[in-house]
Amino acid sequence: MLQRLRENKSAQGTLLALPTTVWLFILLIIPLILTLIVSFGRRSPDGDVIYTFTLDNYARLIGYSTDCPDGQTACFDSLYVNILGRSLSLAFNTTLFVITLAYPLAYFIARAHPKQRNLYLFMVLIPLWTNFVIRVYAWMMLLRKEGAINIILGWVMNALNIPFTPLEMLYTPGAVLVGMIYEFLPFMILPIYTSLEKIDASLYEAAADLGANSVKTFLRVTLPLSMPGVVAGTILVFIPVMGTFIVSDILGGRQVILVGNLIQRQFLDARDPTFGSAASLILMVLTLIVTYFYTRKFGFGEEIVVG
Amino acid sequence: MNKSNLFKLLALLVIASLALAACGAEATPAVDAGPKVTSNGFTCPEPSPRIDVTSTELNIFVWTEYIPQDMLDCFELVYPIKLNRDEYSSNEEMYAKVSAGGSAYDLVQPTDYIIGLMIRQELLKELDKAQMPNIVNFDDGWMNQDFDPGNKYSIPYLAGTDSIVVNTDTVENVPQSWADLWKPEYAGKMIFLDDSRAVIGITLLTLGYDVNTTDPAQLEEAKAKLAELVPNIKVFDSDSPKTALIAGDADLGMAWTGEAFIANQENPAIQYIYPTEGPILWQDNWVMLKDAAHEDAAYAWLNYTMQGDVFWLTIRDFQYTNPNKAAIEYAKANYPDVYNAYADSPITNPPAEAVANGHGITDVGDATPLYDDIWVEVKGQ
Amino acid sequence: MNPFRRSPFVIVATVLVYFFLYAPIIGLVLYSFNASRANVTFQGFIPAFSERVVMDGSLVKSSPCGPFHWYCDLAKNDDVAEAAGNTLTIAFTSTIVATIIGTMSALALQRYNFKMKPFSQLSLYIPIVIPEIVMGIGILTLFSQFFGWANNTFNLVGDSRLSLGIATVTVSHIAFMVPFVTLVVQARLQGFDKSFEEAAMDLGANEWITFRRITFPMILPGILSGALLAFTLSLDDFVITFFTNGPGSTTLPIYVYGLLRRIITPQVNALSTVWILVVFFAVLLLQILQNREQKQQ
Repeated sequence: MLQRLRENKSAQGTLLALPTTVWLFILLIIPLILTLIVSFGRRSPDGDVIYTFTLDNYARLIGYSTDCPDGQTACFDSLYVNILGRSLSLAFNTTLFVITLAYPLAYFIARAHPKQRNLYLFMVLIPLWTNFVIRVYAWMMLLRKEGAINIILGWVMNALNIPFTPLEMLYTPGAVLVGMIYEFLPFMILPIYTSLEKIDASLYEAAADLGANSVKTFLRVTLPLSMPGVVAGTILVFIPVMGTFIVSDILGGRQVILVGNLIQRQFLDARDPTFGSAASLILMVLTLIVTYFYTRKFGFGEEIVVG
Repeated sequence: MNKSNLFKLLALLVIASLALAACGAEATPAVDAGPKVTSNGFTCPEPSPRIDVTSTELNIFVWTEYIPQDMLDCFELVYPIKLNRDEYSSNEEMYAKVSAGGSAYDLVQPTDYIIGLMIRQELLKELDKAQMPNIVNFDDGWMNQDFDPGNKYSIPYLAGTDSIVVNTDTVENVPQSWADLWKPEYAGKMIFLDDSRAVIGITLLTLGYDVNTTDPAQLEEAKAKLAELVPNIKVFDSDSPKTALIAGDADLGMAWTGEAFIANQENPAIQYIYPTEGPILWQDNWVMLKDAAHEDAAYAWLNYTMQGDVFWLTIRDFQYTNPNKAAIEYAKANYPDVYNAYADSPITNPPAEAVANGHGITDVGDATPLYDDIWVEVKGQ
Repeated sequence: MNPFRRSPFVIVATVLVYFFLYAPIIGLVLYSFNASRANVTFQGFIPAFSERVVMDGSLVKSSPCGPFHWYCDLAKNDDVAEAAGNTLTIAFTSTIVATIIGTMSALALQRYNFKMKPFSQLSLYIPIVIPEIVMGIGILTLFSQFFGWANNTFNLVGDSRLSLGIATVTVSHIAFMVPFVTLVVQARLQGFDKSFEEAAMDLGANEWITFRRITFPMILPGILSGALLAFTLSLDDFVITFFTNGPGSTTLPIYVYGLLRRIITPQVNALSTVWILVVFFAVLLLQILQNREQKQQ
């Protein structure tokens, strides 16, 4: 039989891929199917799932109801749509800020002397390798009313004789944005660096020979060729931001409700797994849609993820 | 990187992880003669009575900052049992994890109102009083409550109130009632508990309704009123509200007994006020889960911690209203400073009018989703 | 044009971004020496050494360890050691399994055609595009349902009951790590020059020997990169672990999150600093080894 196995390439392939596929099927596909089933269910008063088929949970997400003021037959309450919108907007803003901050740094490292590049990358990696929760905590300490930032600002203002009241930075949406940017910045720096580094130096020489100044070189050569890195980085940033609940929990004072928080609350506090499952799936679908359109325009950038 | 160096690195990682795993998972300490002393210098009393235990582990799921470290350490010293402790900061979170199944906890600490739900869902095991001789230590006033007549499933742990906290240094007009908290001058300065029943409950009180109403019309009113308050709240925190108060990130709001006591110790300007509508009263209890795998260890824990000379540690470390009369007597006799701090403080020893005026939260059965929905909608805006 | 010339704009931006990256960490480390137990403002270093800890309100006046008081506090903390041990055990076990099966599937996807291929490919992309919370809750639901059924059907009681713990966390970690390993190894295989293998086969080596002697050593750097990436992902994971852990399986990220829910003393900062130092030296070691290898080449 071993002999037959050796000859049958297709069987070899199947065998090699089998463990992973089975593992992922059990731990990923089946849970997703379960989530789907639960999302069509109804909640019992005690928080259990009654398995039935109803679209109530999805209707609730878009706020559809027939019990409307002004005698309309159908109307929409935007509560949950707002939460989704808030999360999308936070994800977009975070990604934009992260790209803006990451690009110059990546550019700097890519153009640095080869012997120094590792050092600079090393310095980017260290914060990334410290713990996620610790990084959020660090910002809590900086942003609070009597935290480091306010203290330093206080000194500066006092030295300049300007009256100063400490800024309320913690427990605001701004704090959540800063926290998100900080968490995911390294994930953008690395892919952009990788794609910049791959650009053949001779292209710059060619551009110079053709008379392009540095701005033009950047816009026509560097930027387009670095796009795969930007794309890969965006995917690595956008998707997690959509689902994170820790940052908004700790830095937002449990006030800033994002989709991640909504889902977490449905399962933990509100005891409504049916609604939580529906929200989970909508989150996933939304993320997939955005990712799909984005990668269709810009490519998947996978060569950068692993570079 | 070349093979041999990488293998060396991986070998290092193996050794490191094995070493740490070995360090962390210490063998359960042997029980030997001689006084047991914790790392804080506290001498552990002997268990009385000593229960015969074959289990080597006990899994407890408890509130954050609620069990004195010496109590935990002493238990592991006097019995050869390893304590595994996980924590939660809301009853709903505890309930979600316990009812989801698959968890391996033996004992949990639900607050009064959720015990009814847990009994209905058949999550609890009946307690065998014969195995808990120390149960007589509890003051009768805390036993045989409405949520568990005859204490079939639960025994008391600690009790307290939810009430108004104010930093009198930074707040000019100190609020005297729950309704006062709606005043615009407090906007952006308040901290509230992240607890749907408590917060909706006080809103109902301001409208003159019962905290446990199931009337949808009344709840609609409460929702509207709460929607006015939420934008003024700076932070919701059921983990450690004293942190924001001490740090000055919040100036006033809602907190519970233990938090207020510590905040007051750190900053005497932080005071605890019983509102005119009455505070929320609550009682936390130990229950045993139906699937508990380590019953004997659980009874050993319950009996040991019920001893007066052990339970008094709660008076010392986590200041709440104490239902254990043996512990109070012990503290009074041996640690008068600790006892006096407890007895004199209106936080831990609320005045009779406040208690008479107080409201306990009870299980509302089928109306529970109404409360949950209000909470999600009001906080989501 | 000098390829190493950088505009002043880029330099300024770089400095600012590096500062942004490190400011919180500096704050974290500094506050680990804070004399104030409440840890809100920095009240200076602990000035004196003494036999026992002397407190003045919430200020530590002197301590057996002096300014390193909170580190000594940390060392007495058994929970941290246990959490660290769990974290490493889980990371290590899951990395080994994920690397093995991930490499296998990379080979399968890159070099073979088989009926299951599109399905395998798709299932590998899902963990990358799915938000962790969706995955975490899904897996929790799965385990809960399965354990409930199994425990009832097979009448498992006591310690033989199936429940959440280190095993469930490890198994879940493997699930989200495998796609990354596969992706990395696949990328390495893509640039692979088959002529070496063909030469070996021409010389009479069979497939297994070719793999062992030629292919494997050449893709090993990719495999090890994938393993390292997987290890990092497991060490740092919070969300999935949050939903799938049970008593006695606390990992460091979960533990730190728990600490944040209580009285926050500078001990948290001490823990963070130790973690940063460990990571720093580990990465430094990696870099040195890498440099040495490059020099040999």
